[in-house]
Amino acid sequence: MSDEIILRAHGDYYAPVGETPPDVRDLSKQTLGKQVRRVGRFIHLALIGAARCVGAAAPPPHTATFMSSRRGDLETNIEVLEELFARAQMPKPLSFINTVSNASCYYVARHFGLHGRSCFVTGVCFSFEMALQAALLDFEMGQVRSALVGGLDTVAAPLAIDRARLGLSPDAPVGEASHWLWLERGQAAAGDTVLETVEAFTDRAALIAWLKARDFAPETTLLAPGQFLSDADAAAIAAEISLTRTFAYRADLAYYDGQAGGALGAFKSANDLDGCTLTHINADPEGRYALFVARRVDA
Amino acid sequence: MSRSAFLGAGLHTALGAGVARNIDALFSTPPKAGAADIRVGEETVHVPALLLHERPLVDIEARFWAAAEAVVGEAIANAGLSADEVREAALVLGTSSLDIAISEAIYEGELAEGREAHPLTANSTMGRLAQRLRKAHGIRGPEYTICTACTASANALIYADALIASGRVRHAIVVGVEIFNKITALGFHGLELLAPNGMRPFDAARAGLTLGESCAALIVGAPKQSGGFHLRGGANLCDIFGISAANPDGSTVADVIRMALADSGLQPEQITGIKAHGTASLLNDEAEAAGMRLVFSDLPPVCALKPFIGHTFGACGVTELILFCGMAERGYFPAAPGICAEPSDLEIRLPQTPLPIEPGIFQLNFFGFGGNNTSLVIANVG
Repeated sequence: MSDEIILRAHGDYYAPVGETPPDVRDLSKQTLGKQVRRVGRFIHLALIGAARCVGAAAPPPHTATFMSSRRGDLETNIEVLEELFARAQMPKPLSFINTVSNASCYYVARHFGLHGRSCFVTGVCFSFEMALQAALLDFEMGQVRSALVGGLDTVAAPLAIDRARLGLSPDAPVGEASHWLWLERGQAAAGDTVLETVEAFTDRAALIAWLKARDFAPETTLLAPGQFLSDADAAAIAAEISLTRTFAYRADLAYYDGQAGGALGAFKSANDLDGCTLTHINADPEGRYALFVARRVDA
Repeated sequence: MSRSAFLGAGLHTALGAGVARNIDALFSTPPKAGAADIRVGEETVHVPALLLHERPLVDIEARFWAAAEAVVGEAIANAGLSADEVREAALVLGTSSLDIAISEAIYEGELAEGREAHPLTANSTMGRLAQRLRKAHGIRGPEYTICTACTASANALIYADALIASGRVRHAIVVGVEIFNKITALGFHGLELLAPNGMRPFDAARAGLTLGESCAALIVGAPKQSGGFHLRGGANLCDIFGISAANPDGSTVADVIRMALADSGLQPEQITGIKAHGTASLLNDEAEAAGMRLVFSDLPPVCALKPFIGHTFGACGVTELILFCGMAERGYFPAAPGICAEPSDLEIRLPQTPLPIEPGIFQLNFFGFGGNNTSLVIANVG
């Protein structure tokens, strides 16, 4: 029996945001057991999500760190831009260094003592999917046997401006989330969640052809529509491949960019899904698609 | 073992637009850095910079897109990809500063007009640069934007190769883009990492870096039976010694070099030459020199390309790879005339004239903020 890529653990931070993004330093200290200094909310939230994922366990030092975000550390970038252009002040050295997107990966790796691969991936609609695929590629190429994969999206005050950046209506609920997965190669046991694949498609025809070739069993396959896939398209895809069961993990979430990051953890935690397969499909406005597939090993 | 082949490239740096012009320039002495002046309040900061050739710092958005889109077109043409092949290809971008130069220009313009302005309102999406390049060339395959500071486009090549090896795509377009922006310039100025005397990697007089600009693109595809450069292997590791400098004892640099060799199925003595990262900063050159010494008991020839183009940050991976391959294809190992002619305190010597070389196996090293260390092994022998 060959090794598989097992979702060993997951951890999440999610919170709707009222008018002011919360100060998370105390939560960070409480979660990590120590105060990490001179970092902004983005890095604190990365650490909180990763720590909740890992829990009391210690990932092996060779563990890789992957992170995705659609907008990255927006607050730090805004702060540096305002400092320079609106207040005519030089960027503070540490703020400048923390504008480097992979600073968050560094802090996560340092906190857990990880020396493995480190990669920050972004994209317009598929940032989490592509980070997950990057991790999968490294597993497939034999480069990685253990990986933390995070998806993190935050907002910036004032929220009225940030809603406009996001293209949302002035009263749209917005939130922040830090979703983390710990993937390990190993022999899957009953109840384990296994990542099977992550794929991208140039168009809808390519997606449908792949799904039909895969021949998912309708009774045990759940379709999880991603946040950028329209309801109509999700229904049409389900009909074309004869799927009737859905996995609605996003039902009550306020808007944030990387909701796909929460799907696998929700699937792993859901009751009575052993033996089931999750097919998560997302889309972009150009008619391209990305999906990931996971299954729960039958008891 | 052979992995992805390098099928065609496009390049625009301070040396010129087009791969051939860039390679021609490597047979001369490194250009003298110019200076970009940045006004901050009452102060004017002179930042040493090697800007894109024949692209003055005006109309920031237009120069950005014109340069970035052109190199992708040049690479596609040089690789001879059909429209269908381009459509199915992956685009894997490595960059550190994305299109922040454009966001800066918009915000600064709005403030100058006296408007109530907020940063990043025109675009806060980090994927826009890759999306725009993809749309400009009709590319619809997987799209990655990898942001790992100065290793970004070297890591992009590793993932492009993995996408091809996995059978998910036949071709990938690896792109590196780094365009002058004020935050980066002033950030390095504030860190006192900019050199007044040009970049002098490993030299006793090394004093830091010159900002460089580059747009670079490399088409990679399935291994070819006949000749040409290809990737033999690569590795990326995280050095948690410090966020802005590698461990000066060289241990973490040595780890990633060894891992890349192992990934390539090679021993150190099989390496024909090394392209060093060579940022000319005191600590990073010390760490890199120590790391090479730990791995190679008999150090092969070492070259450094940043004196010619400046530090192009996230773009330096694919930029320096294209420059190195172009020189090697003409039969030469790059020189750095006037720099590190004699072994310095770091015991590294750089060639003073291009060295004739036969096809071989070469190691290219890249190190970045965030403890991101990457090593690539490429070859133009079987």
